[in-house]
Amino acid sequence: MVKKIFRVRDMHCPNCTMRVEGIEDDLPGVKQVSASYQKGQMVVEFDETKIGETEIIAAVKKAGYTAEAA
Amino acid sequence: MNQLIVAFITGLTTGGLSCLAVQGGLLASSLEQQLEQQLDLQIEQELAARRAHRSGKRQSRSRVLAHPRLAVPIVLFLVAKLTAYTLLGFLLGALGSVLQLNTITRAILLIAVGIFMLGNALRMFNVHPIFRYFAIEPPKFITRYIRRKAKNGESFFAPLFLGALTVFIPCGVTQAMMAVAIGTGSALQGAALMFAFVLGTSPVFFVVAYLTMQLGARLEKWFMRFVAVAILVLGLFSVNSGLTLMGSPLSVTNMIQSAKAAQPELASAPIPQSDGVTLYLSAGNSGYSPRVLHARADTPTTLNVVTNRTYSCSRAFVVPALGVEKLLPESGMVTISIPAQSPGTVMPFTCSMGMYTGEIIFDQ
Repeated sequence: MVKKIFRVRDMHCPNCTMRVEGIEDDLPGVKQVSASYQKGQMVVEFDETKIGETEIIAAVKKAGYTAEAA
Repeated sequence: MNQLIVAFITGLTTGGLSCLAVQGGLLASSLEQQLEQQLDLQIEQELAARRAHRSGKRQSRSRVLAHPRLAVPIVLFLVAKLTAYTLLGFLLGALGSVLQLNTITRAILLIAVGIFMLGNALRMFNVHPIFRYFAIEPPKFITRYIRRKAKNGESFFAPLFLGALTVFIPCGVTQAMMAVAIGTGSALQGAALMFAFVLGTSPVFFVVAYLTMQLGARLEKWFMRFVAVAILVLGLFSVNSGLTLMGSPLSVTNMIQSAKAAQPELASAPIPQSDGVTLYLSAGNSGYSPRVLHARADTPTTLNVVTNRTYSCSRAFVVPALGVEKLLPESGMVTISIPAQSPGTVMPFTCSMGMYTGEIIFDQ
């Protein structure tokens, strides 16, 4: 299990974090997502053997935002 | 009863916009999520139906958007908000005798709310990421709980819960109304006052939230700019009201007071002539008249404030320098004793909202 920080710059209000964090329900291998509107980033705790950064970035894009590895 | 009507009208006008500014972010984005889910479902259903019937005629997106079901989460949000604030009004009224806000506390509150609003407006304009710290992020356990509930099919839970949650992020006008609710000193009157006020804000909330969904993302961007400008203006207004309430010469209201003094006075109920020792001031529905009173220095003075069918906030009369705060009757006269003042003293007076002002000048 690793923790990685991703920059998500296009969140425009505090409730965007709710949508970004919603990816944790859809991605097996992701334990927890903690997004911060103020910092413009999210911290993802995930199992590297089950899921990679590319899938996480794609899931964030599906939720309507742009993520990039910090 | 008159107080309730004033509360309702305040909600309908300034309250609606001001509350939208503070609570709008929480409301709009949450409702947007709710509505988008419904919208996606409707579009999918429509596409499926179209494929099945092979109608071939392309239906417009706006028709889907105009579906009445879109209104349900907004109404639920508003009902929850109304209930929560009515309960809050009940509690504030009951605690009225204990939690009396003095003038300075209210002034500081107004200035703090003004700075909060200015910060939020600058955040919405994307001036600098630092202004993001002006936004209130709901606690993670709450957002996670709401998200899970919403995903489990309890889609009406989120707007209900968030509506009730707005009780923790009241806007400037709501806070002023909360202060009035405390002032009633009665649980039932406090509840009725907050009910009338929040009921007044509801149409603005509903129309704006509904239209935002109808307008779509592109127009929403422009709409949010409009909201940001409105917050900016209201924020400046709130700071100015706070400064006025403190009796600060830095407030715009006090700075332009002398210019105003040259203008014709407001039409008001006839009052006796002031003689420098006994002063008469009319508190009307549009402010105080005369705006400038001249009193004799080094002599104790009596100020008589006269009301005649006055229903506006000019009834909440404040003299910051004396720490005097009086709720005037709708019709009648209240006497305030002013100790001797040195020559050249300028003593501002104002309503408790900092909207209507005037001053007493002590001449030799």
